[in-house]
Amino acid sequence: MILEVDKLQIDYQAKDGVTRAVDGASFVVPEGRIVGLVGESGCGKTTAVRAIMGVLAENGRRAGGRIVFKGQEVDAATTKRLLWRDIAYVPQSAMSSLDPVYTVGAQIVEVLTKRGNANRRDARKRAAELFDLVGLNERRLADYPHQFSGGMRQRAAIAMALALSPSLLLADEPVTALDVIVQRQILDMLRDLQERLHLSMVLVTHDISVVAYLCDEVVVMYAGQVIESGPVREVLARPRHPYTMGLRNAFPDLMTDAMELVPIGGSPPDLRDAPPGCRFAPRCPFVLETCTTGADGHSLANGHMSACRRDGEADLLRKEALDPVTWQRSSSFAAS
Amino acid sequence: MRLVVERFTHNALALLAVTTILFFMFRLMPGTPLAAFINENLNADQQQQMLEQFGLDRPMWQQYFIYLANLLQGEMGLSFFQRRPVTTILLEVLPNSVILTLSSLVIAYVFGVLAGAWLAWKRGSWIERVAVPAVLATRAAPEFWIGMVLLSLLSFNAGWFPSGGASSPGLAYTSNWQRMLSWDYIHHLALPVLTLALYLQGLPLLLMRSNMLEVMHEEFVTMARMKGFSEWRIVIHHAARNALLPVVTAFALGVGLSMGGNVVIETVFSWPGIGRLLVQAVSVHDYPLAQGAFLMIAMVLALMNFVADLLYIVLDPRVSHGRRG
Amino acid sequence: MAGVAETATPTVLQRIASMPLRDPFAFVGLSIYVIFALIALLADVLAPMPPLEILFTSTGKLAANLPPSLDYPFGTTNLGRDIYAQLIHGTRSALAVGLSAAIVVSSVGTVVGLVAGYFGGRIDSLLMRIADMALSLPFLPFVIVLTGFLGASTSNIVLAVALLLWPNSARVIRSQVLTVRERTYVEAARVTGASSWRILFVHVAPNILPLSFVYAAIAIGWAIITEASVSFLGFGDSESVSWGYMLQDAFSSQALSRGQYAWFVPPGICIILIVVAGFFISRGYEEVFMPRLRGR
Repeated sequence: MILEVDKLQIDYQAKDGVTRAVDGASFVVPEGRIVGLVGESGCGKTTAVRAIMGVLAENGRRAGGRIVFKGQEVDAATTKRLLWRDIAYVPQSAMSSLDPVYTVGAQIVEVLTKRGNANRRDARKRAAELFDLVGLNERRLADYPHQFSGGMRQRAAIAMALALSPSLLLADEPVTALDVIVQRQILDMLRDLQERLHLSMVLVTHDISVVAYLCDEVVVMYAGQVIESGPVREVLARPRHPYTMGLRNAFPDLMTDAMELVPIGGSPPDLRDAPPGCRFAPRCPFVLETCTTGADGHSLANGHMSACRRDGEADLLRKEALDPVTWQRSSSFAAS
Repeated sequence: MRLVVERFTHNALALLAVTTILFFMFRLMPGTPLAAFINENLNADQQQQMLEQFGLDRPMWQQYFIYLANLLQGEMGLSFFQRRPVTTILLEVLPNSVILTLSSLVIAYVFGVLAGAWLAWKRGSWIERVAVPAVLATRAAPEFWIGMVLLSLLSFNAGWFPSGGASSPGLAYTSNWQRMLSWDYIHHLALPVLTLALYLQGLPLLLMRSNMLEVMHEEFVTMARMKGFSEWRIVIHHAARNALLPVVTAFALGVGLSMGGNVVIETVFSWPGIGRLLVQAVSVHDYPLAQGAFLMIAMVLALMNFVADLLYIVLDPRVSHGRRG
Repeated sequence: MAGVAETATPTVLQRIASMPLRDPFAFVGLSIYVIFALIALLADVLAPMPPLEILFTSTGKLAANLPPSLDYPFGTTNLGRDIYAQLIHGTRSALAVGLSAAIVVSSVGTVVGLVAGYFGGRIDSLLMRIADMALSLPFLPFVIVLTGFLGASTSNIVLAVALLLWPNSARVIRSQVLTVRERTYVEAARVTGASSWRILFVHVAPNILPLSFVYAAIAIGWAIITEASVSFLGFGDSESVSWGYMLQDAFSSQALSRGQYAWFVPPGICIILIVVAGFFISRGYEEVFMPRLRGR
């Protein structure tokens, strides 16, 4: 395991109280694998990744849990040594993540000279290699971020991330802002780079089809908690948590054409006042009395974890979940 | 380049508009139109010369173009009271105003930028809670009142500085340069500069502070953090470099604006600059001199607006380097 | 469509009214305004002595340059006038100048900004060119030339200030109108065939009202400082006792060399208080209504 996240808790302090954005999330990243971290916006996936980088917003704070990188537990101070050399980051919007007043080349050189040990000449040569690696013309090193198109900027951001040959790449919605064709190009490139450079990767996305396309493992988050995780094929073929079942229904690429898209009714809970028991219960079409009370469900079989309290009936629920009527029930339920 | 031409045209047109407004303003002043340029203090020859030079016997629109043509040649008529060409008088006092303005602005901006960045750093501390209202108060105080208080405290009471003027009586210099580099000149300059700097530092300080606070939340600053850069590098190379952009522009604008504002400071300290000249000219109804001084101030304002535009183009690659595919 | 507007209008107005209660700075600012307004209204009660009355001591000598005492809290001028009375009565002219300039500046700025932003096209570019022109005039020199030649009266000072200050508010309000114009309820009103003027004043105007307030508060301060500066330079209204007149009087009567701080410090403090109050109020409104305009 290159990265282990264990019962991570992240709090945000606001005027009107504390929000626990990540509440006891655990997952692992095996060496040389791509792990998809998937969930709706606000489910804590970005916060979790930023916590790994040690750059939470000012009002954010790690309230508990452990982060272990290559067998060594890291805290805010020790993370700083690892940054970019061992763990690098690919942002969602390369536009706002690049400093507008320096050329892209200068910013790659900056990383190579200030965080690596390269001198300026070597750094420039390496920057050209990196651009080549991500399919950009090295002449574009002299351009400013705003002169790039969206897809090219994303490539530049990936080149930047690879500068110091990190072993773990954290990519936060790296293709969300792009159109579908460019998305595919970037995803293909990421997979290619991952294989060639034997990278380990965490890919944060709200789009389960991206997970299906690229990832080896998947971790599904809901309202700050991990509700299901396991190998992608297994989890997407036989989801055991109703939320994952719903998520799968709500995205196009996976399903056959005949299937209509069915959204999950309602919206995620307010984390300042999280519901007791299973947090998905208010939107779940299969909710039982026991779901809103008592301890978390947690069953693990063949590396496939589910937090559903009705995990024993997973096969039955999955069949029902294929019927759109089931989800209408959930939305009327959520509305009432 | 197209942008530069565009900004130049814009500012040149604005200046033309100002000169036009000025022309009609001075001619619509109470009294006969002739009185605007000719008065009985001038002798008959001078009066005749003025009549011809400004075409004062011709229709208004012709006068307007003669006025513009004269202006382009730097010809602004004769001062009623000094009986010397307005242009000569203006050029004599211009260096005093420029020195006063530039030195106080440089001090104000160096201090303001550093203190503003520091206050952004100290956000939420008691220092900020005390300093920000205090700075606001310096922005709210009339410039001349700050001057009066400093004058009373540091000049009349403590005796550290002379109470006015640009040089002590009885001193003679071989050249203007020698005079301006003399200790005596700097000694006279100090208090007005201090006053102006105190008044002016608020803008760059508050601007820098709020820019820093804004930039520190930008994603690229977070990225710099993720890259593991030192705090110093993040703050100076990335945050401050971006936060400075509007401050630099404000500096150039400040030169133009503060030349106009110097009117009161120069009067408080009897500093022989353009502003004081304007006030004197207006109070004795010396129309040509008042018009000339006003135009000179307006010209500096337009020029500095243009410089500010240029600086913005040069400093912000988003403006200077167009979008490419 | 009307329903949307009628729910939107009162909430904006309510928020404008209740804002000072939510923002402590704005509360302080408003309190300063209220206090000065009371002083101005009660000036004759607070200082029954006419401000230009020349006073004599019990021995019949001119009561010149008296130090602060119980009778004369700030002492007297070199001509034996009560400085306290001048300060109190000066509040009236300060508020008169400030409020009239604020009303003119914000109403002209609002109307121009609304029309330019909403109708766009030629009207817009014409108005904005005029604004550019006004902004390229040097502020204080323009006021001096105007009052110096047209006559030193309060109304001329207000006129000069208004002529130069409206473009600032007009520009900002215009850009705000450009965004409000695209909102759905305005779109809806347009689709249902409401007239342009109706849309402008019923649907758009309430949303930019907070900005008008911001610029009015700023204009009050600017006008008072300008009046003080112009009076100080000797182009003030000789009929009225203002803080600027007091400062000019003190300056030209050598109060500085005599160290009569009680003469020239209080008027300056009063000006600072009123201008800062304007800053605080505008800051409060910006914070509540336009959080994006400000740094965090």
